[in-house]
Amino acid sequence: MRRVSGTPAARIALPFIVGAIGLAAGYLLSVSLSGYFVFLAVSAVVAAIAILGLGIVTGSAGMIALCQLTFAAVGAWIVSLLNVLNAPGGFIVWLILGGLAAGVVGVLVGLPALRLRGVNLAVVTLGFAAAADVTLVQIQFPGSTDGVSVLRPDAFSDDRSYFFFSVLVLVICGIGVYFLQSGRWGSSWKSVAFSERGTASVGASVPGSKLTAFAVSATLGGVSGGLIAGQVGLPFASSFTPIQSLALYVLAIMSGAYLIDMAIFGGIVWIAVPELLKRWGIPQDWGFVIFGVLGVQALTSGSNLGQSIRNAWWKRQAEKRPVELAAPLAEAAGRDAVTAAPPATAPAPADPSAAPVLVVTDLGVAFGQVKALNGVSLAVPPNTIMGLIGPNGAGKSTFVDAVTGFLPQHTGSVSLDGRDLRGLSATARARLGVRRTFQQDRVPPTLTVEAYVRFVARRRLTIAEIDDALAFFGCPTARTRLQNVDVGTRRLVEVAANVLARPRILILDEPAAGLSHEEHLELGARLLQAPARFGMSIVLIEHDLDLVRSVCSTITVLDFGEVLASGPQAEVLADPAVMKAYMGETEML
Amino acid sequence: MLQGALAGLAAGGLYAVLAVCLTLMSRLVRVVNFSQAATGMFGGFVAVWLVSHAGWPIWLGSLVGVLIGGALSALIGLIIATWLPEADTTTRSAVTVGPLLLLISLSFILFGNKPQPFSPILSGPAFSIGGVVVSQVTVATVVLAIVVALACRLVLTRTSIGTKLRALSERPTTAELIGIPARPLSVAVWAVTGIISALVIIIVAPSQSNDATSLSMLIVPASAAALLGAFRRLDLAVIGGLVLGLLSGLVAQIDEVSFIRNFLPFLFIIGFLLWTQRKEVWDAAR
Repeated sequence: MRRVSGTPAARIALPFIVGAIGLAAGYLLSVSLSGYFVFLAVSAVVAAIAILGLGIVTGSAGMIALCQLTFAAVGAWIVSLLNVLNAPGGFIVWLILGGLAAGVVGVLVGLPALRLRGVNLAVVTLGFAAAADVTLVQIQFPGSTDGVSVLRPDAFSDDRSYFFFSVLVLVICGIGVYFLQSGRWGSSWKSVAFSERGTASVGASVPGSKLTAFAVSATLGGVSGGLIAGQVGLPFASSFTPIQSLALYVLAIMSGAYLIDMAIFGGIVWIAVPELLKRWGIPQDWGFVIFGVLGVQALTSGSNLGQSIRNAWWKRQAEKRPVELAAPLAEAAGRDAVTAAPPATAPAPADPSAAPVLVVTDLGVAFGQVKALNGVSLAVPPNTIMGLIGPNGAGKSTFVDAVTGFLPQHTGSVSLDGRDLRGLSATARARLGVRRTFQQDRVPPTLTVEAYVRFVARRRLTIAEIDDALAFFGCPTARTRLQNVDVGTRRLVEVAANVLARPRILILDEPAAGLSHEEHLELGARLLQAPARFGMSIVLIEHDLDLVRSVCSTITVLDFGEVLASGPQAEVLADPAVMKAYMGETEML
Repeated sequence: MLQGALAGLAAGGLYAVLAVCLTLMSRLVRVVNFSQAATGMFGGFVAVWLVSHAGWPIWLGSLVGVLIGGALSALIGLIIATWLPEADTTTRSAVTVGPLLLLISLSFILFGNKPQPFSPILSGPAFSIGGVVVSQVTVATVVLAIVVALACRLVLTRTSIGTKLRALSERPTTAELIGIPARPLSVAVWAVTGIISALVIIIVAPSQSNDATSLSMLIVPASAAALLGAFRRLDLAVIGGLVLGLLSGLVAQIDEVSFIRNFLPFLFIIGFLLWTQRKEVWDAAR
């Protein structure tokens, strides 16, 4: 499906075409199905919308949410209330308001979840579902005691046309989710599911990502609940029990509901399983027993139906076309030159008169009694590469964490272009232009290279710009899926994406780990050009002294958390203390 | 007022025992077991069926029920220990949502969705102080909660099995490499907590709303209580359970605020999470 979407125009048109086909199919079904099946079909569509929402929060954002039908109940409750009040605007407006109300409730439930992850969130949502269920039984839906049935929209008042209406809502929701998933929000959801630190380091807000996922998911839940209110007229609490929410969660997990087609499939399964059991004369409760068993299978194997099918399909395609390296025509010549020429160009010496970009003064980090960093001061001049070297455990990565805002308890000061960064979060620092890469793999494998680059860069990029930077660093093409890229190359993509963000300073934490020696040299040659070409300073943490020598104009050596030496390359490397710390005592003898 | 609070204490003891089980599971086998109450519920229902339909004596039926609760829990543990030995807590915990759903539905099929005619093992007042009656069930659950917590603490800190269990929970692979039988031990933890949960549910169920859903959803107040000890500390889990029980008993007495009774565990959870997580914490150490 994605291969068709080569050009941007096709990419935008595709969901609308699929939506139009869906609408046409919905119309045909609405006129051809028998009355009973039309009612079932509405239920399937409604369930699909709820599962679509669940797919965002559980599938994309990787959180456990066990109260989707409680959000649906909120939507249904609001629609019933507005119906009883005879509010202006009619059903469609009520439906939207119901969805929005559920979204607000979702944010409120999600707010404590901002700092929470995983299990705690599951406990919160299950607690909410259980509490809301009991309350709902007590207070009932507005109008249910007097039998005031919810009025459907005039144009869709009978069951057949109401089914078509629900398909229309599903198509709108599906298209909306498609664009959200392929946009910044979608990338932030997938990123936060993979790594919170990675998400914050590229200037995306971790709480914001979680909250938007929760809000969108709850809104879709609310819309689905509103549709139920219109479908049955008098909604009852028994349609929104916690057990059903649990079953819906399990269904979303095993079908892979973050894929839109699988959410629709999930909606059909949701209705088909109990219906089939009923026809075969088996108690319908067996349906949830089956869901339970399949859910355990899906959760233990970590796989789901939709992703398995796609992986099989992609694997077949990948066999036909192996991962290609990005090399646009305009760049090909220059690229060859880079590869062919040995990295002979010496690093440009720093301009001593220019004001430094990054100034670190008396930086200290203590973990209990252990002083990981103590009185570290250094200044990075503009458009240069500074090497940060030192033996293992010298505090290099702690330095990166402290400068980029991951260790707010540090002492001393860090300033960027004269601006003190004290009190700023990792996200805020990244947005100001302090970027970093990680020693560990923090590149979410669920994204494509292009989506990842756009997410990291946080600015409008033309596809030519992306291709250019990818080719420059020897990365795979923009359309490659990151899950097909080896970890060493992923780190190159990470570097390229962060360079495209045009930061003031980019701190590379051992970017060459996992690359071969030749790739090391190539990376060095590219890094050497990066400050001038992209306009930034780089701090390079590296163990390979050859690479450091060929790239860095200034070097700072850390040892036991303190600066051993700092200054121009030749001076620092000739310093006997550095030799002793870095090479070991024996080398000196 | 005091009578109301003490009436809640029986439930509080139940929450506390389940919270101790949850804490143990979280510490020793890295799982927040959402089916903790459900396995106990299922064992309890089997016991009721054996007594009321098969005519078994209460003690025998209860014994079999408790063992079935333990066996179900062990089975879930076996599945998780076999297929997800190295996975993180979230993934392992998510798996237990499946059995929760399955056991509730299965009990609907086997036993119907009505409350079960539990014959009380314990009934009647234990003693009364100043006109306030304390039932035997209250005494039993509170004592059970404290005894279980103390026993677990002793086992963990004073015995070699306890040392092995702690090693296993913190470094599963390392523990296995030095010869600690990882899978049997974790399954044993599952079985023991399953037995304890089933036992306490059989004791308390006659005096609670005891349909399958209500009993399984006891997991919510229980995890609220366990959260007080951050799923780490047994003593705080016990206190959390008792306090939560007292509070809901109290709230139920006052008409103006009785509507928040349903939301009490939820508010308890949120309050504590907001407090304990007020500082920014990252998902990985580095």
